Amino acid sequence: MSATLLKNSELQFGATTFFAKEHKGETCGSNGLPLTPNSIIIYGKAQKLKLFKHPNLCTYLDIIRGKHERTVIVSQYCGVPLSNYLNKEEFSFEDITKIAYQIFLALNYIHEKKIVHRSLSTENILVQEKNNIKLFNYGLFYMTDNGKLVSFPIIQLIYAAPEVYLDGPNGNLSNPKVDVWSAGIVLAELVLNKPLWQSLKVGQRIRKVLSLVQGNTSIFERIAREHNCYEKYLSVPDDLKQVIEDCLNIMPCDRPTVDTVLKNELFAHFKTVNQTNRSKICEPFEQFTIEELYHWWQLAGGDVLLELKKQGLIRSSPPILSLPQMVLIDGSILGQERNPATLYDSRIIQMPLEGLYQRFEHIPLNCYYPLIHSKSEILSKADDSSYNAEKLPLVIREKDPEHQFHRVILLRRLLHGYPYTRDLIIAESIKDIPPLLRGQIWAALLNVRGDYQQEYIKIDKETPTATDRQIEVDIPRCHQYNELLSSSEGHRKLKRILKAWIYKNSQYVYWQGLDSLTAPFLFLNFNDEAKAFACLSNFIPKYLHNFFLRDNSAIIQEYLSKFSQLIAFQDPVLANHLESINFIPELFAIPWFLTMFSHVFPLHKIFHLWDKLILGDSSFPLHVGLSILTQLRETLLASGFNECILLFSDLPEVDMEQCVNFSLDTYSTTPKSITARTQQSEKSPYIATMDIPVQDLNKEKFPRISVDDVVSLIRDDNDRAIIVDIRNPTHYARSSVKGSINIPCSSITFGEINIENVGIHSSLLKKNKDKIVVVIGSEEANLDIFPKFLIHCHIPKVCVLHGGFNVLLPITPTVLIQNQI
Amino acid sequence: MANRTSAAQRPNGSTQGKICQFKLVLLGESAVGKSSLVLRFVKGQFHEYQESTIGAAFLTQTVCLDDTTVKFEIWDTAGQERYHSLAPMYYRGAQAAIVVYDITNQDTFARAKTWVKELQRQASPNIVIALAGNKQDLANKRMVEYEEAQAHAEENGLLFMETSAKTAMNVNDIFLAIAKKLPKNEQTTGPGGSGQGRRLVEGDSGAKAAGNCCK
Repeated sequence: MSATLLKNSELQFGATTFFAKEHKGETCGSNGLPLTPNSIIIYGKAQKLKLFKHPNLCTYLDIIRGKHERTVIVSQYCGVPLSNYLNKEEFSFEDITKIAYQIFLALNYIHEKKIVHRSLSTENILVQEKNNIKLFNYGLFYMTDNGKLVSFPIIQLIYAAPEVYLDGPNGNLSNPKVDVWSAGIVLAELVLNKPLWQSLKVGQRIRKVLSLVQGNTSIFERIAREHNCYEKYLSVPDDLKQVIEDCLNIMPCDRPTVDTVLKNELFAHFKTVNQTNRSKICEPFEQFTIEELYHWWQLAGGDVLLELKKQGLIRSSPPILSLPQMVLIDGSILGQERNPATLYDSRIIQMPLEGLYQRFEHIPLNCYYPLIHSKSEILSKADDSSYNAEKLPLVIREKDPEHQFHRVILLRRLLHGYPYTRDLIIAESIKDIPPLLRGQIWAALLNVRGDYQQEYIKIDKETPTATDRQIEVDIPRCHQYNELLSSSEGHRKLKRILKAWIYKNSQYVYWQGLDSLTAPFLFLNFNDEAKAFACLSNFIPKYLHNFFLRDNSAIIQEYLSKFSQLIAFQDPVLANHLESINFIPELFAIPWFLTMFSHVFPLHKIFHLWDKLILGDSSFPLHVGLSILTQLRETLLASGFNECILLFSDLPEVDMEQCVNFSLDTYSTTPKSITARTQQSEKSPYIATMDIPVQDLNKEKFPRISVDDVVSLIRDDNDRAIIVDIRNPTHYARSSVKGSINIPCSSITFGEINIENVGIHSSLLKKNKDKIVVVIGSEEANLDIFPKFLIHCHIPKVCVLHGGFNVLLPITPTVLIQNQI
Repeated sequence: MANRTSAAQRPNGSTQGKICQFKLVLLGESAVGKSSLVLRFVKGQFHEYQESTIGAAFLTQTVCLDDTTVKFEIWDTAGQERYHSLAPMYYRGAQAAIVVYDITNQDTFARAKTWVKELQRQASPNIVIALAGNKQDLANKRMVEYEEAQAHAEENGLLFMETSAKTAMNVNDIFLAIAKKLPKNEQTTGPGGSGQGRRLVEGDSGAKAAGNCCK
């Protein structure tokens, strides 16, 4: 029943296709890298068009690259081409004026965005109900870099302005006035109600347009006379006639701009209507957008390329036919040219939506308007009918149209309320993050606020600096398998963001790896550089505080020491092995942490990793590192130094969902002081209590735990910890922690690595799997040997109370048993 | 991955003749093609968009020279100047080094010269240094003359070749030339894995100490 909500005449889309120009001859640019395929350049440029939102423009939805430089453009497509009306129903002059007004509004919008249509015609003006119109395919000239990236001319015969013809077939004249001429021709056709020079051949049509250049009478009048419509011409109201004549001015400099045309009295009454519409206090809630509809359609099995194949727009020929007929010794190829007629296909294929309608038919209406703030008892019953996919693996949930329907609807609604709804966004993001909204959700989770755009505009991103060379050689190597990031537009934007970040953070410098770190944000916010920058700017202080200092060695040292200790804490067997083969984190983990794994994983894996990372604090990445080691544990344990390091030179496939879940597991069971660092930006109570010099930290194989964590372990849940007191029995008898065991250090022979040496408590330690073994002592020397011994005996979760037994005395008399003598 | 490892670890015919292992380090300005040279030498591959190296990467490859099997343990370092502080950790204890520059970029040649100086001053005294002018396939955009680089190599007693990781030109040759020049009488170990592991531990404990003091 409610699929009717989806069945909106404006929520329709279609696709067109063409071929980008192939590079002939040289395949390498001056930097030795292969030339970027033109289809990739188009792909990058066209992204901007997706931002265009105007009631008189069809929204661009997607750009798809096929084989052999094929480019497919997916765009909103609804209504009937204006050309279908000519010679049939006649529009009244009032209708024509309304259509004209909308055409000029649309042109004005794109001209303000510095885009020239250049192929306006009655074919790509789509008429909706009430003679509302939308322009279609207005971005072709722009996305092909004024036609330079394709080998067919972008021109509409009849409609093209005389100067376009004079510019030649390869011309790329991009004066917005050419659109004004085309609009004039369209209006002339509408008024005369017939297509111009329809019966003529191509050459004759061009000659006709060019012949208009001569003579100095009104061009509109001459066109009307030529088409035996002089009487009609005379009946046109003067103001409308004048607009058409103004548009059809031979000299571009005498032709008005669209902006000027819109100021014409003719359109005055539309403007007032428009303003009354705007006076509404608030826009009605959007049920969903066409972008969302397209996303769901794809998830529900919609395939643009397949539809184009079905309709014969993409024909596959046997591969043997695409072999060259002759290859010369110098490498030039003959007989492989594509038929020029197939380079551009003017047909538009409407995408069928029935499949999606059926798929979503059973979704009740209230699901389109999820309740956020009030969940009443009555309504919560209705909620049970909602789709439950939470148990499914993440990759399946992301591909499930219905699950994504609910997630997108809910999270978009929450994003509308950001920043007030930030807590709710966090709560929902813990479940999963719908890929369609990931960029916005990440920005919300990273607390991007206010006028981030203004801030970005103010930053100098252009002035050459000494770092430019390094950035320039790194960018063409950064996630280049990705179409967006390998496009020229992507390179340009990445460079700007990097330069902006360095400019803004003068205490930091560019370290290789910053490029990889920026890439995910740029990919997700390709059309909003400022937001990508803002995300990066908030991400780095949180997770990589001071990592980009000119001298970051102290920070990295501390980080890696903490990493080693975490391994020893969670997995002493692995830690011992890695230590025995001298496989230290310095050799493999720097790129992991410096780039938060963005240098070691492809984008789609980084997304799933960061989805969780962004929800955690700055210690979470250490757990991710541990989790990767754990996935490769068996191989690592069976390998020597060389095999281990080779394994990491070319990181094998890592199951990301498993990796993330394992990280969450260790993250939640590790006391926070174990991973607390002095070099983190978050204020942490542990740092004040545990001020360990980096040199000492490096020597310690085991982590220290803060007194606060120990106290809460003892108080809250006594079962979670084994407190091992290693002081001598006299001290122990005088005062001890409730439930602790006494293993006097002096009683143990450490020479032999055997847990039995600790005496009667050995079985308790040996059986330990999940409990945290807190070693409490008073002499520093013993506090080093004993925990090391435990780790060598493969006892997990060993840590040492920082500050020794005495720190417990003043703070918590309640956890101690005092035996006063 | 698995193939490469086993090929590197258990070269055919390893039971005959001597086996020598050498630690080799690649140095040079970033984006001159260090990683590409190694990738070509070790896997016979070339990636146009070889990603940048952060920290360092490690690979091994074995070459046969008459009756000797020479196993290279190759440390491929990050090129960016900022990672310079890590470099001693990798060249410390290395028996060979390839200093790479890009023949289409004069600055990278200047950087290569300073690397050579640093190695001569701070690395093992007997280190075999080779100078590689990479990207020879772009010779039409050459900015560093062959003769200039050759003269510099001769003055400093370096091996010198112009290479191309893209076309594989001189890639194996430069590694072979290094193998020939390296003394084969030391460090001869049996084909067993334990010997390799032990030697590496030594090499790396040295490296770690160096890393600590330089940071």
